[in-house]
Parts: sequence; structure tokens; C-alpha cells
Amino acid sequence: MATLERVAQPRLRFLAGLVPLACGLLAVLIANIPLALLGGAVPPPLLALVPVYFWCLVRPDLMSPAAALAIGFAEDVLSGGPPGVWTLAFVLTYALVARQRDSFAGLSGAVAVMGFAAAAAFACAIAWFTVAGLALLTAGAHLPPLGPIVSELAMTVLFYVPTALVIGWIHHRLVGASRGDI
Amino acid sequence: MANAWKIARKSNAQLPLVIVIALAVVLVLLGKAQSGLFDKARAHVTDWMAPALEKVRAPVAGFDRWVGSIGEIFTVYEQNLKLKEENARLRQWRNVAIVLQGRVGRYQTLLHAVPDPKMNAVLARVIGRASRPFLQTMILDAGRDNHALPGQAVVDARGMIGRIYLAGSRTSWVILLTDLNSRIPVTIAASSGAPGNIQGIMTGDNTANPTLDMMLHTATLHAGDQVVSSGDGGLLPAGLPIGTVVADSQGGWRVALLADAASSQDVEILNFSKPPEALPATAQLPADAAGLKPMAPPPPPVPVAVTPPPKPVVVPKPIVAAPRPEPAPADAEDVDR
Repeated sequence: MATLERVAQPRLRFLAGLVPLACGLLAVLIANIPLALLGGAVPPPLLALVPVYFWCLVRPDLMSPAAALAIGFAEDVLSGGPPGVWTLAFVLTYALVARQRDSFAGLSGAVAVMGFAAAAAFACAIAWFTVAGLALLTAGAHLPPLGPIVSELAMTVLFYVPTALVIGWIHHRLVGASRGDI
Repeated sequence: MANAWKIARKSNAQLPLVIVIALAVVLVLLGKAQSGLFDKARAHVTDWMAPALEKVRAPVAGFDRWVGSIGEIFTVYEQNLKLKEENARLRQWRNVAIVLQGRVGRYQTLLHAVPDPKMNAVLARVIGRASRPFLQTMILDAGRDNHALPGQAVVDARGMIGRIYLAGSRTSWVILLTDLNSRIPVTIAASSGAPGNIQGIMTGDNTANPTLDMMLHTATLHAGDQVVSSGDGGLLPAGLPIGTVVADSQGGWRVALLADAASSQDVEILNFSKPPEALPATAQLPADAAGLKPMAPPPPPVPVAVTPPPKPVVVPKPIVAAPRPEPAPADAEDVDR
């Protein structure tokens, strides 16, 4: 099936190029709707990391570092945590995935989920260490506990497969396979 | 999964990556120094989302209750017996409390006690909750338009939940007592009836039970001691019920909170503003400032003769307040002899 980007006018093609960023921002919005299911026993997943990871592997020309920065910034604003923490985590995770693209892109099946889990663990670790560093700068502050960030990592990995299926469908329908097809 | 598509071989943005990482680091540092910019953006976004949150809230709360009640189905009978027993015990305590309240009122009248400051309260509904790794908060449907301001205490029927840290025009964010950034000055009253209260700081660490740091490290706590807000600093009213002391597995002390922030639906925002204490004039003496009767003015100093006196003249010092006994100087003793 011909994608929108291949057949459409240049203006529509430009709009199709914005789909990864829009998906990332939409994922931020969905994940940060402040409604705690299960009585807040589990934190919401980092849904926005899935489009960043996915399009960083498949179409890095559309998921640029600036787009990762914007998505991380939106996550920071809506999640309410210390400012800049998720921005830094998303950008550094993007850098890791971009540097190891061949390794990550070669994974398939359950191992692909493990690849994403490694990237998500890296992002969560960056966030935890950043908050811990900020806490050390504040007199009398406690180090953040590890339990909640591990729960968030588990939830993010749990939601990876359904989110990646939706994003894959959007990619097929709206974006297109590769830059060479444009 | 990703290899199902052709992969673009190279990103065209290697240079911006370094710049973007630097920008992210600057953002972290800027956020530490100027968090108000982020807070304003959050308040605007929440105000914008408030109508949608109020509409979504009912079905989500219903689903939450349904999920939460699944496990309780099997223990309904035991819970009912337990609640009946507790209700009977609480009725007895209610009678005791009414009698004691009347007695305290009479004592206050007899002693001309300073009445507690009056507080206005705004009733607000919880329209959102977020339990993130670095933030535990709830969102209320009252903001600056309803006179809800940062710093005000938020309580439910059982006790204190937290305090407002960000207020938009129609919504406000509450930092829960369990949050990592929450610090509340508290008073710990001994449950055994021992005299004297212990002052401390209750610090959240994102667990259900915040930790207690004592001002006096030699203070002895007991499980079951009552924890209330101390009112130190004038930001929160004194005496708000918070919880009871429980022992930590690591030998420390924590607070089992009375309020359950996860299930609270309607809360009160306490508008507490302690009147500022009038400072005494800089030239005023401490005894006058304390309301004591001023003492007689000191006698005028003896004029010093032009010719050198044979013995040193001792000028009596004016006594202002209860002086501490000081050892007399050696030459003064000589004069007295």
C-alpha cells in the first residue's frame, strides 16, 4: 500500500514527516493524564519512549535529536517531576540508540523487546541518577527510592508491544519505510 | 520487530545531537534554579485539561472502586464484624471527647487563653492523581480563583494529606506528605500520657510511611504516639492530625498516615494565615517588650572630679532585668572593705 508520504503532495509529505513527533507528544499526553488506575499502586508507563526508540531506528531523519528533546520536554512539563530530568534521559537514550542502531535494529521477536527494555532501563537510570544528583545539591534531601523507577521501567516494557504495534501501523499507513522511498 | 522495514542508514543530524545534549543539561540546571517557569506551564496545562479530567474522573473512579472491591468480596463478613466492634468503641470515645471538649472550653475561659486562629476552608474535589517515580501528587478543581494558594494545607475527614505547591486559576497541585520533597514540622505527643511533646520533621520518601527526624536526638518515641502539625514557621496551622508513630524495620521511626490520599474524593483547603507578630521598637528594652512594669530610672552618674580621687568611685549599674550573679571585681571588693 502506497504511503501518504510517497504519493502525496509536498505539503502533505511534510505533514507526514511530522507524524513521529506528533505521536511522541500524543503518547506523552496519554501517559500523563493524571488518573491513577489501581489506586496509584503502579506508575504510568513511559509511552513516549516507544515512538522515540522506534523511529530513531527506522526513520532517524524524521525522529531527530530536536524531536527527542521536544518530547522529553513535554514529558517533563506534564509529569510534574524535577524539570529537565526526562529531557536529558530521552536525549541520551536517543544518542545511545542512534549509536547502536545496527545492533538494535537487527533484533526481532522477544529479543527486540529485550532491546527496548535495555534502552528503557538506560533512560530510567539516567533519570534516577539525575534526580539523585539534584538531591545531593539540596541540604537534607533523601535519595529517591529505587522501587518506583523500577516499577515504571516494568510498566514501560509491558506496554511496549501494544504501543509498538500501533506505531508500526501508523508508520505503514502514514510515514513510509525509508528515506530512500521519498 | 524493527527489521521488518528498510532502515535508513544514517541520521542527518549527528552534530545537533551534541548541541541537544548540552541543551538538555542546561535545562536540568535551569530547572533547579528557576523551577517557576515549569510550574507556570504545568498550571496552564492543568487548567486547560480540567474540564476533560472532570468528565473522565467518574468512570475511572468507578473502575478503580470495582477493581479494588474484588479482593474485599471474600472478607466482607470479617470486615463487617470488625467495623461494628470499632464503631461501638468509637461511640464511647465520642462521649469522652464531648465531655473533655467542654472542660477544655471552661479552662480556656478561666485562663483567658488566646483563642486558636480562625480558618476559612475551601471544599475541593480531586480530579486527578499522579503517582510518578519522582512525584506523588493530586490535582484539585480549585485554584487561585477560589483563593487556593501555594503552601495551604489540604485535609480530608481523617487528617492532613499534603499542601498545595502549585496553583493555577482553576486547578491546583497538591504535594502529598509521602512525596520525596515533602517536609512538615510536626509535634509528637506521647500516647502513654508522659508529659512533654517532641518536635520533629516529617520527611516523605515516596513510600507510604514518611520518616521522622527528631530535633532532639535523645528523645524517646513509642509506637502509637500521635503526630500532629506543629505550626512552626507559621505556614501550617498547629494541631492538624497527621498520623501515628510506627517502628521502622531498620530501627528508625516512621508515620502511619491517617488520611488515605489514594481514596480521598473531596478535600478541604485550609486558608490559614497567621497574623504577623508585631516587632518591638529597636530601642525598647526586653522587659518592656514582655509587658513588665518598667523599673525606677537609675540615679544620675556621679560627676567625675577634675582632680584625681584618692580611691576609684564605683558607679552603680542600672538594673534592667533579673541580673545574673557575677563575681565582683577585685578592686570593688577592696572599696567595700
